[in-house]
Amino acid sequence: MPIEPWACDMKINPAYYFLAPAVVGLTVFKLIPISVAIVGSFYGTSLMGESVFRGIDNYRSILSDPDLLSSLGITLLFNLIANPLQVVLSLAVALLVFRPGPLIGLFRSVLFLPVTLSLVLTALIWNLLFDPFLGPVNAILEAVGIGRQGFFKDETQALGSMVWLATWRGVGYWMLFMLAGLYAIPESLHEAARIDGASWWQRFCHVTLPLMRRPIAFVLVAATAINMLFFAPVYIITAGGPNGATDFVMFRIYQTAFNYIDLGRALAMSTIMLLVVLIVALVELRLLRSED
Amino acid sequence: MQARRKPGTASFFRYALLSLLAMVMIAPIGWIAISSLRPPEEIFLHSPQLSWRTFVPEKIIWSNYEMLLASDFPQAVLNTAFVAFVTVVLGILICSAAGFAFAVFDFPFKNALFVVVIITFIMPFESIVVPLYIMVRGLNWNDTYFALIMPEVASGFIIFLFRQFFVKVSRELFEAARVDGASWWRIYWDVALPLSWPTVVAGALMMFIHQWDAFFWPLVAATSQDLTMVQVAIARYQQFEQADFGRLFAAMTVASLLAILPFMALQRYYIRTIIDSGFK
Amino acid sequence: MGKLTALRRFGGWLVLGAAATFMLSVVPASAGTKLDIVWMGWAEEMVKPLMDWFEQENPDIKLNYQRIPYNELLSSLEVRLGARTPEPDIYSADASLTASYAARGHLMDLTPHFKDDLARFDEAALQAASYRGKVFAGPFATSTQLMYVNVDLFKAAGVELPGTGIEDRWTWEQVLGAAKKIAKPQENIWGILLEQSDRPYQLLPLMQSRGAKVVSDDGLVSTGYIDGDKFVEATQFYGDLFGVHKVSPPGLFDLNLVQEVFHTGRAAMMVGGTWNLDRLNAGASFKWIAVPHPYFEGGTPVTSTGSWQIGINPRSKNPEAALKFMRFFMRDDVQVKWFNLRPYPPVLKANWSNLSDRLTGQPWKIAKYELQNTAVPRPPIPGFREYEEILKLAFRDIQQGAPVKERLTRAAREIDRELAKYK
Repeated sequence: MPIEPWACDMKINPAYYFLAPAVVGLTVFKLIPISVAIVGSFYGTSLMGESVFRGIDNYRSILSDPDLLSSLGITLLFNLIANPLQVVLSLAVALLVFRPGPLIGLFRSVLFLPVTLSLVLTALIWNLLFDPFLGPVNAILEAVGIGRQGFFKDETQALGSMVWLATWRGVGYWMLFMLAGLYAIPESLHEAARIDGASWWQRFCHVTLPLMRRPIAFVLVAATAINMLFFAPVYIITAGGPNGATDFVMFRIYQTAFNYIDLGRALAMSTIMLLVVLIVALVELRLLRSED
Repeated sequence: MQARRKPGTASFFRYALLSLLAMVMIAPIGWIAISSLRPPEEIFLHSPQLSWRTFVPEKIIWSNYEMLLASDFPQAVLNTAFVAFVTVVLGILICSAAGFAFAVFDFPFKNALFVVVIITFIMPFESIVVPLYIMVRGLNWNDTYFALIMPEVASGFIIFLFRQFFVKVSRELFEAARVDGASWWRIYWDVALPLSWPTVVAGALMMFIHQWDAFFWPLVAATSQDLTMVQVAIARYQQFEQADFGRLFAAMTVASLLAILPFMALQRYYIRTIIDSGFK
Repeated sequence: MGKLTALRRFGGWLVLGAAATFMLSVVPASAGTKLDIVWMGWAEEMVKPLMDWFEQENPDIKLNYQRIPYNELLSSLEVRLGARTPEPDIYSADASLTASYAARGHLMDLTPHFKDDLARFDEAALQAASYRGKVFAGPFATSTQLMYVNVDLFKAAGVELPGTGIEDRWTWEQVLGAAKKIAKPQENIWGILLEQSDRPYQLLPLMQSRGAKVVSDDGLVSTGYIDGDKFVEATQFYGDLFGVHKVSPPGLFDLNLVQEVFHTGRAAMMVGGTWNLDRLNAGASFKWIAVPHPYFEGGTPVTSTGSWQIGINPRSKNPEAALKFMRFFMRDDVQVKWFNLRPYPPVLKANWSNLSDRLTGQPWKIAKYELQNTAVPRPPIPGFREYEEILKLAFRDIQQGAPVKERLTRAAREIDRELAKYK
């Protein structure tokens, strides 16, 4: 065995070697811009582009704005529905295509197909499909007697339609990680349980599920990160409407930064959002912590 | 390893359920694909009233695809494939190493650093795009492949992914290898990674899709025609004032079918690695 | 295991290969002047011929132009201009945003360079390119709105058609009367469509035709204007088209989809841009005519206008080359070619005669009249972007049943909060 000096010299923790490249990358391309953004949230921009210190004025005006609080409520409600739904469905789908069988490879690919469309294109497609006046989905609903629905144009259905859209694309995506998790469970454990006469459900609850905690935690946290910042479909389809039904925080941040040209205020909203998402993610990780 | 289940009702339900799901997943893209073959005046002619014409074009035209081939679309596909490939290779190496460190070692401020990793992927991109652009420009990288690749190589998501999945690989395994005198580098490369093929595949596909979907950042940072990325090329078929849905749909169809290729190629590495590698 | 090890070895080579390719892929700096251009996302075949022509005439200047789709054009310009870098040298500036860009120092003052040219431009287009008496952009295209009529649907319902002459201009009340007779919402047949049904660009002329003033003279106050009586009345009329009379499909905001409803023969009338002529001339499945934009009874005819301009970044490191580009694109012959690539109504007075063989027929006759007599540019206020976006969301909600006065009052409050920064 060749001697690899840095591995034997224990003065420096080997962790640092493994971490170094990623830490450099994250610092330069993420942490520095994020720090700039957070500092920027205490500033406003004058018309000619000079920064003007505003202290906590941005935060004060945001937190006293009832509209933003209602946006936050809508965003959280969306996450409360979409995240568990996506976790459960992606795990269920992964279980369906986990064991080999005829055509399973094909089915997996088909389930992955929606992922090949960006969220922007997914929004474009479902906007057309669900259109009340031109869309084929309503043609089908009418033909089978259910009748035409408003979907994104209906105040009561818009948020649900967004959940549908996100989940349609999300299931195949999260399936990737659920599958990876399932394959890491040693078959011997299943064998042992089977010999003990455990039913499929018992094996799922006592073997699969406990060992899937970490993958599930990953999917839940990652889905939270993505769905808390859910934005493109809102921008493309509803612009926060009808009557505020899909007024997500991210849409507000985008509007404030690029259309209302008030970057400082937008950055303050982002910083608040960052804290909210971080807290939710850490709670989720804590809840799903495994014993090992 | 044979599944010892009887090929009876369970199997029937499994395939029935899968077929239903497949329908839901494929139908929207199928509608786009069919519409891309219709002449422009026909695309929305039959969609609002159900008839067999809703699904079968009156007249099939290929001109949308011919135009696609003659445009900058193939170049955009190649650009994106290159950018995605390099990002995936570098990214998986760097992020899996970091994930390995989180999973295996103890070091000061480990939990704090992990929180920092989480922070890197929950800040809205729209909020950091201006400083990022100024920095990339300062490095003189604007309008190069560097601008498209480098910011995406170190990904908090992928580090988090590997941290979650490496931990599952038994520590005894690592310790056994250490006793045998293997360096940590060797353990990472010869033990941890091979035991994690499904994770590597999932992470690689996640990074690939991330770059395949890249849209706003390329618009800002890589402006020259030679660097056009695929989503930008597709979006250009969305013509304000005068739509050209046929061309747009053709581009979407092709992009979707191309992006499934990496998945089809890599999915056979979804295998049970614990047994596969002889460790138990 | 064997296969996996092999794959990993292969992986090592891939890394090396990728790294090597990566190093080679760095674009070398090129000699000569290079202009970095952000261009509206028109189709490549409408853009490339003009750019090629310029490069041919100016071999020492290379053009690096980027076409950006409309939905992302404004936001990506915000990022790049907001970074206050020398690039882009030149960009497509939306005519409604001249004041916004100029007030924030994103447009070069062209007044000294345009001296003799000013008389060549269409008045409304020049007005849209100016801010506080100075010209900040080169007009490149303008727009006007016509009302397209599906003759077949009118005949089938036995409704008398509007005349195509200027003097035959219908009132909105006449439009509503005809629309009510033709529309069958249950069968997905509609009376009247507004092409950009949520955008102030298309809707402000309704309020203005009613006599409403849409913002204060200093451009800093909207309260008392957009929630004033006349504005509210006109908006109520607009909202009732969707909710009360059901002659227009509510919630259809995507202008491309509105066009589809009309072009597939599902609507009797559509108020829309001249770009619809292309598709109608190329072959419509129904008989159609184009008539003048409607106005309110007792009011004055007002039409929307404005479109695209070319702006120069004042921080550009190549102002000479950028001005060359500007002068080239303001030439008669270049804009004639541009018209042949994409027929926006001309902004150069001379081109109405230069293009007389193309600008024939009643629709263009109406278009010319509107541009010279009834066109009112969007208010030249620095906060138009904010004004437009907030008002757009209000129009959307009103289409879908929100109470008009209340919603407009809220919008006015929000707009005024954003306009405060221009004080």
